[in-house]
Amino acid sequence: MVVRRSASREPVTEAEERLLVEAAQRDPAKFGPLYENNFERVYAFVARRVQDRLAAEDLTSDVFHRALASLPRFEWRGVPFAAWLLRIASNAIADRSKRASREQDVPSFENSDSNPGSSSPLEVSADEIEERARLFRLVDELPADQRRVIVMRFAEEKSIREVAQGLGRTEGAVKQLQFRALENLRARMSRMNVSKKNG
Amino acid sequence: MAKRSLSRQLDELVETILARRGSRTGPEPGLEPEQSELAELADLASRLRDLPRQNFKTSLKNDLERRALMAATARATSRVRPVPEGYHTVTPYLCIRGAAQALEFYKKAFGATELMRIAQPDGKIGHAEIQIGDSHIMLADEFPEHGYRSPQSIGGSPVGIHLFVEDVDAMAKQAIAAGAKVLRPVADQFYGDRLGMVADPFGHIWSIATHKEDVSPEEIQRRAAAHLQQEHGAGVSLKQVPPLGPAPGVREGFSSITPYLAVRPAAELIDFVKHAFGAVETLRTTGSLGGTHAEVQIGNSMLMIGGGPEIAFEETPAAIHLYVNDVDAVYRQALRAGATSIAEPVDHEYGERGASLKDLAGNHWYIATSLAGSPVPQGFRSVTPYFHPRGADKLIDFLKEAFGADEVARYAGPDGSIVHAQVKIGDSMLEMGEARGPYQPMPSAMYLYVADADSTYKRALEAGATLVQPPADQPYGDRNASVKDPFGTTWYIATHIKDVAP
Repeated sequence: MVVRRSASREPVTEAEERLLVEAAQRDPAKFGPLYENNFERVYAFVARRVQDRLAAEDLTSDVFHRALASLPRFEWRGVPFAAWLLRIASNAIADRSKRASREQDVPSFENSDSNPGSSSPLEVSADEIEERARLFRLVDELPADQRRVIVMRFAEEKSIREVAQGLGRTEGAVKQLQFRALENLRARMSRMNVSKKNG
Repeated sequence: MAKRSLSRQLDELVETILARRGSRTGPEPGLEPEQSELAELADLASRLRDLPRQNFKTSLKNDLERRALMAATARATSRVRPVPEGYHTVTPYLCIRGAAQALEFYKKAFGATELMRIAQPDGKIGHAEIQIGDSHIMLADEFPEHGYRSPQSIGGSPVGIHLFVEDVDAMAKQAIAAGAKVLRPVADQFYGDRLGMVADPFGHIWSIATHKEDVSPEEIQRRAAAHLQQEHGAGVSLKQVPPLGPAPGVREGFSSITPYLAVRPAAELIDFVKHAFGAVETLRTTGSLGGTHAEVQIGNSMLMIGGGPEIAFEETPAAIHLYVNDVDAVYRQALRAGATSIAEPVDHEYGERGASLKDLAGNHWYIATSLAGSPVPQGFRSVTPYFHPRGADKLIDFLKEAFGADEVARYAGPDGSIVHAQVKIGDSMLEMGEARGPYQPMPSAMYLYVADADSTYKRALEAGATLVQPPADQPYGDRNASVKDPFGTTWYIATHIKDVAP
């Protein structure tokens, strides 16, 4: 059981990460911490570029399996491990897109921007990914009832009524919890951003 | 109340966000400026639409852990070497009566290191391993009831263990001091090793060797043949039995062709070959004509010497190619024994050191040592008759026709005449070179053992030989005839019928 690293802390240092990578290269069973440190990041990156949740899960799974298999070949050249993972993710997405268009004769399931005015979603900024990964991790640190609401509402895509039934609360109470949870998240996000700016 | 309404308003925004599928980056629904707080929350909500499911994260983690475990196992498995570290493909397993003592002996004798020992309560060793040099040897006590029997139970061991060591002499000395029995003293071997053999006190046989010289397989072949001849010839006890019995019709101890030197000074010639070449007299009796008949062994070959001053007969001196270990020593010894020199010892470009002598009876002796390895070249015996015919090619034809000779080698000179040729009759080599200079035809006589004297005699006559004496059984156990070939050589064609005590 890996002790959960607080989402509000800065990511692991390069030296720490290097030790983790080298340990996992010697013993694949030590891949766990690398997964924990990077899951939200990879998922955020993938989810940003594919349409549906199943595809995102599929690809995330693919990325980590590829990473585990290729870990012995990973060479430490000062590039963060996360960057390596995201490159694998890009390749996995491209492979899948090619396969899909070949097999089904459809263009691609990647998000197509319906608004020509905005920037292409394919060019997801690294900051945006980090932001989202941080947000996902912060959900875990919410008070239990708020976290349940956020998870059920967003990750499990349940309606207010379903959440209310699941938690045995009124719909109003659930909406209240949802509101507080989001406020909470916003506060934590901005606190981190402030500390980041000042730090 | 304000909060409640804000939470409701927020949920409406969330509903809209969640309902928008496929387009995640569209503009947020229009909001009043005072509702900017709501806008920020809605922005978070739109990002949370990508929140991963907790189940997925957990199950992927479990999945990866399983996979990692498999990879680790596979890696660990691949590190297990099918041939364990330190072992070679083949490892001797010795079955020993008294394995515990043997362990101590091998340490002392061969500097063995004990690697493991599984002793039983009764003191017997169920399994042990030692290392000598870079090799492992397994051993255990004998368990005759299970079919594991030691050399002492079986009465010997058909398998030997060959040790290559840095210093064979030192190791052999050490082994003997520890109690090993010498089977073969350490000596240089023709295949390039220096080697000795010992038996340990438990009946196992060990060869100990140091490699001294790289010898090509062809060279080993050649040397092996020469070695075999040497083993059964010169310098080896007369009691040494040839590896195979004589060919059909050939008297024991003889080869197919034996030169018969019939000379007037027969007794002196016998003395000469003894002194000059270390010949051993094996028989001296009275010949059919009343003179002397003697047989001597030189190296691994026999010679017949007959005649005497008191009887009338045609002398048959011959030229003999005689392989010896040391040409120079034998040359000097022969001169002291009364021979005259024809040619002093010299290295010949055909790979022999040779010298020529003439003895008191007029025989030529071409003494030689092969310069490649063993003194006697492959296929040769100590004594080989040498002919100097006029028309060597015709002689070869006759020998083929009459005696079924095989032509082994023929070297022609610029004028086409034969400088040197070798033919083989039965197990014996015969050499010749066209007559020239001091090397002129000699009468010579050859005693030829064949399987069937009568039929060979007929073939010899058909091939052009002239009759001297028709086939007849002789009191000394041979049936023989004699003919003279067109080149002046007398051939006694014989088949040994029965052994007769001399």
